[in-house]
Amino acid sequence: MDADSDVALDILITNVVCVFRTRCHLNLRKIALEGANVIYKRDVGKVLMKLRKPRITATIWSSGKVICTGATSEEEAKFGARRLARSLQKLGFQVIFTDFKVVNVLAVCNMPFEIRLPEFTKNNRPHASYEPELHPAVCYRLKTLRATLQIFSTGSITVTGPNVKAVASAVEQIYPFVFESRK
Amino acid sequence: MAGAAMAHANPVLKLYKSVIEDVIEGVRELFAEEGVEEQVLKDLKQLWETKVMQSKATEGFFRHSHHTPQFTLQLPHNFHRVLHASAASVVIPAGKGFQNFSAGDMGTSRAGATLTLPSGIVYPIHVPAGVTLQTASGHLYKVNMPLMVTQATGDGSILHHPVQQILKPLGQPSVLQASIAGVARVSASSVQAAAETLQPQEPVVQQTMVFQPNVMEKAHLENSANTALVQQPSVSQQQLGTNAEWNQCADSTEKTQHGDLRTTVFTPESSEVCSPAESLANNSSSVLLDVEEQLDIDPQELVQQQVSDDIIDLLITGKSLDDNTVLKDQDSIASSHEMEPTEQMESNLRSEKDICSDIEDIIQLDGTGDVFPKEETPHTKDREENEFIGIIESEDLKVLEDEDEEDDDEDHDSISDMESSSSSEDNEEPQIDIVEEDPLNSGDDVSEQDTADLFDTDNVIVCQYDKIHRSKNKWKFYLKDGVMSFEGKDYVFAKAVGDAEW
Repeated sequence: MDADSDVALDILITNVVCVFRTRCHLNLRKIALEGANVIYKRDVGKVLMKLRKPRITATIWSSGKVICTGATSEEEAKFGARRLARSLQKLGFQVIFTDFKVVNVLAVCNMPFEIRLPEFTKNNRPHASYEPELHPAVCYRLKTLRATLQIFSTGSITVTGPNVKAVASAVEQIYPFVFESRK
Repeated sequence: MAGAAMAHANPVLKLYKSVIEDVIEGVRELFAEEGVEEQVLKDLKQLWETKVMQSKATEGFFRHSHHTPQFTLQLPHNFHRVLHASAASVVIPAGKGFQNFSAGDMGTSRAGATLTLPSGIVYPIHVPAGVTLQTASGHLYKVNMPLMVTQATGDGSILHHPVQQILKPLGQPSVLQASIAGVARVSASSVQAAAETLQPQEPVVQQTMVFQPNVMEKAHLENSANTALVQQPSVSQQQLGTNAEWNQCADSTEKTQHGDLRTTVFTPESSEVCSPAESLANNSSSVLLDVEEQLDIDPQELVQQQVSDDIIDLLITGKSLDDNTVLKDQDSIASSHEMEPTEQMESNLRSEKDICSDIEDIIQLDGTGDVFPKEETPHTKDREENEFIGIIESEDLKVLEDEDEEDDDEDHDSISDMESSSSSEDNEEPQIDIVEEDPLNSGDDVSEQDTADLFDTDNVIVCQYDKIHRSKNKWKFYLKDGVMSFEGKDYVFAKAVGDAEW
């Protein structure tokens, strides 16, 4: 039953954050001057490189660490990261694409019903924390999955987790509890 | 149309010309040291200039002989009366000949009417009396006596400045016109006479003469509300004598004056004092008569008075100001009327004393202890002055501005050149495709996004930025001091704002 209802819900992945390493020192100035679509943030020592094809923004450090954000799926994230590494290689750096890891996945899900947050919080005491004066959503942490859900009274839920799978299972898990406290 | 385009491209061309000049000058010594002939340098310059012309990036005038003097003549409302009466026409020589603007054109003008000199007018310009000149910058410049505006040389511009300084606060057309009216009424005939007499005259001290009457007038106008006495000297000054008279009076006043400039400045004053002494007798105004007496009494004292009228303050240093005070003391015969304006003007004197010292600084331009190329420091100085003063010729300012921009551009260009050269070296290093655990497989699975890179457009902007802002993919640009090549043409700007989407 839960699984069925879960299938009906569409979980929209809005953001996938990943990292990879180039295993070589990067000359940020050179990237900033020669690279296309780059923003040089000299004060913090980063270069932002934006890609069009997979809409991706990469933050590049001189150490060779690169954080890639803005992808809408894990595959796209990897694809974009590789493309980025390729362009760095073109600039002349001895880039090795290693340690690719998806760090964070942000997804949004919409419940077809509204939720009574105070009631929900009471029922889910240890995991749920609700501070309406600070933030209008209930923050529900799933320790096992290392996922965090933000549950709004409208029925909209924002999920962040280490990967897409974790996010999907988190939504599955939360559904029955939320269903209980629906309006 | 052509004129407008010319005016438009002119600053760019001027800029480029100055760039070329500067580079050639800078390199000249090096060439000499290296033992390269001067001819090579000339060839280089020629090649460069022809290239610039050929690129059609600007409208090509090989030698910028076209100045577009941006002058507007603002005629007082009663000027046309004078004009009609005198049947004099505004004589503005263009090129070699004289172009006569009929008095009728201006006769119909009302107060505040402006006449823009046509483009292509070359100095010298002869402007008759009773005309208020308004430069493009908006500074009023009232002329109560006929004058010759000569083309600004390096020295001339310096002289311009002091005049402009004094004239700058003269932003009260009502005062002007009131005084003009008063003066005109009193001395309409004298103005005519002066205008006509001045026309054939081209004294050697042309430049100085040009300014001091203006200055004097201006000073008088400032204080016109105070005393009729002020008007008196202005009236007298309007009646210029001949050169002979000037010379005569020059000797008498020389001992009281310091410096050549001041001498020449005072000369006409004193001459004016001398010559109209008799002619003023005909004037009906009692005030005039009083002054006449004073005039008759002692030309020197009158010169003092005129000095105190702070016209010459512009060109006077602190020394002269001290002289004024000394002269004041010596003025035993001075009436109470005389003293009042003197005292009133003393404050003016002091305020302009600082200006005078600044002016003296301008005169000594030769970049003492410069770090940058010699043009920069003097130009920045001049820039300050210009902001401060007012410009008789916007061209000069433009040139200065251009040179400032050019300096910035030069710096910017040099930096970008350096960087690009260093980066190109890096690119030439061999690119090794590394086989790794997760091989990138150059080009295999990852397609290259070179379409963006290949967008190398012809439109380029080289500039400095004030602010670059981005929101998501919306960009805003606030740029300054730049040169841009747009569709083959070059443009120069001081400020540019842009929006873009990425």
